[in-house]
Amino acid sequence: MDKLKTTLVLMIAAGAVALFAGNGTWASFSAETTNAGGSVSSGTLTMSNTVNAGTACLTINAPAGVNNNPSCAAPITLTNVAPGVFGGTSQIQVTNTGSLDASKLTLWAPFPNATLNGTLSTIGTTTSLPITPLEGSIANTNPITLTYGAHTQTFAANGATAGGATSISVTGQTANFAYPTGTIVSSTSGDTSSANSDCYDAIGTVAGTAGATKGTDLNFNTTSGNPMCATLLLSIQETTNGQYYCWVGKGSSPESATGQCAMPISVGLTTQITNLATVTQLNVAPLNGNIASGDSIVVRNGSASQTFSASSNVFFGATTIPVTSVTANATYPTSTSSVTDSTTLGTLNSDNVDTIANFNTLHNFNLGKIPMAPISSNGNVDLLSPIALSHFNTGTFTRTFQIGVYFPNPNGSTQNTMQGLVSNFGLTWHIDQ
Amino acid sequence: MMAIGGLSFVTATGTFALLTSQEANRGGSISSGTLTMNNTVNAGTTCFSYTGAGTSGNVNPACLALFSSASQNYPGTPATATVTIKNSGSLPASDLGLYMASCTVAATPGAPTPGGGDPCAVGGAQFYVLETDSVGNPTYCWYPDDAAGACSFIADTLNTFAGNLNTIANALDLGAGPVAGATRYFKIGMQLPTNASNTLQGEEALFALTWHMTG
Repeated sequence: MDKLKTTLVLMIAAGAVALFAGNGTWASFSAETTNAGGSVSSGTLTMSNTVNAGTACLTINAPAGVNNNPSCAAPITLTNVAPGVFGGTSQIQVTNTGSLDASKLTLWAPFPNATLNGTLSTIGTTTSLPITPLEGSIANTNPITLTYGAHTQTFAANGATAGGATSISVTGQTANFAYPTGTIVSSTSGDTSSANSDCYDAIGTVAGTAGATKGTDLNFNTTSGNPMCATLLLSIQETTNGQYYCWVGKGSSPESATGQCAMPISVGLTTQITNLATVTQLNVAPLNGNIASGDSIVVRNGSASQTFSASSNVFFGATTIPVTSVTANATYPTSTSSVTDSTTLGTLNSDNVDTIANFNTLHNFNLGKIPMAPISSNGNVDLLSPIALSHFNTGTFTRTFQIGVYFPNPNGSTQNTMQGLVSNFGLTWHIDQ
Repeated sequence: MMAIGGLSFVTATGTFALLTSQEANRGGSISSGTLTMNNTVNAGTTCFSYTGAGTSGNVNPACLALFSSASQNYPGTPATATVTIKNSGSLPASDLGLYMASCTVAATPGAPTPGGGDPCAVGGAQFYVLETDSVGNPTYCWYPDDAAGACSFIADTLNTFAGNLNTIANALDLGAGPVAGATRYFKIGMQLPTNASNTLQGEEALFALTWHMTG
């Protein structure tokens, strides 16, 4: 028994030795602190889009819940447009409303698109998509992609669908989600030609002036091939912080070193020109286009007119036009005189390149997105800048663009077949972290 | 695993956007206007440039005739017709022109013994284009006088008009307008000269007047 007791005592002692010998860091004293409540908060990257003085359109209000709002206000609306005559402009301001800087701002033409105007059932086969009026036209078998949050599904068009349609016939399949109203619908292989693009022509149903003939009254206008989309000239002139860059249209890089798009003007005088006075400057309402040095500026009042020569570049929004000194040939009152730039009109009248249709086919999601680096000086951008649109309330967090559309009047041909038509199109703006 | 991690690192740098935001301005629309013309002769049925039998490309070649061979003309006795031109489109016309593509002679239907003369030729019919107000008061004589007020008949004017003002490019310039929705009123005068030759008996002048409006 003593022998057994002795043996057990030795084993306990050995265990204790082993225990302490094997853990050299064991301390008989200890201390400890805990940093509790740590948190990591993600920032936000959101944007708004305001056309003229309208209501800001927010991506956070996007019905499809993907920070992608497909239904902001129309980029520009012009009525009763005539060939060879100043059409009009609109202003779009793109603002980073988030807390994170955007490294990129990108512009492109949307695909033919709409949103669902009803909910799809996950039971049974879907053969027709109810949509808001389709912007663009879709060719047979084109893929039609639905996107709602993380849900997506692609159908195939079962036949051609014309612009303005309110349903798309698709090859039957069962919806993989109950896609609700507001789901984004896009034809992801569109924008390949003027006949298959976001811009489409329709016959006008509303007269340009009360009681006048309208598109549906005429028998010589046609929408086949979207001819007006293939004729109307689009320009997108940035004017952020008083600096200028022509992103789209005649004058876009590398055409204009000064950053001026060739955009026609049509303004009134704000100071009368008096007969026989020496004129060195025209005081005008804020310019709705650009003037290049040397352009011919025509002031007209009834049957009287005089052509002046611009003596410097004048940019969108300016209220004075310096001209080469000349004696006025008549009195031009402020109330009835108009001021136009015949040089720009001439330039644009022969332009068949910078059309909306070409913008669609050359600058869409699949091809030729336009990265919009910040302007460093007129006609120049900073390609190395890490920030294209600063986070809200800091630096340049809003960028301003002037959208112009002009209906050219080529010399020696009429545009009668495009009377009473309506061209419909859109623009997509995108920012990346 | 190491290789995959390294590749991911390199690929991700600077090219992946973790957060994005996007919006589209949808529904931009550009509507073109219209430039169309209504033509009414006397109190007849209105003829439209854009619709009606024979119309093509906003050109109507079959509006009512101004004069008819059923109405016999006597030397020194004028015949007149009113033409009302309305811009029925939504755009203003920058110019209104008038031309006569041709003037040809033919025997008056039913005339027993045509004289063999030519009312379109020198010594033939006299012609004028007068603009009036809506109730017919003369305002401007566009041809042959080109002056405010009434027109007078002058020798050889049908011949001169047809010979010189016979294409769009050479049309008689009637000035600007009408603006959208507006109307202009014209009176076309025609007579055989008071001293007309007997050779003009039983002969008729066949011509068309074309009104051309430019936006």
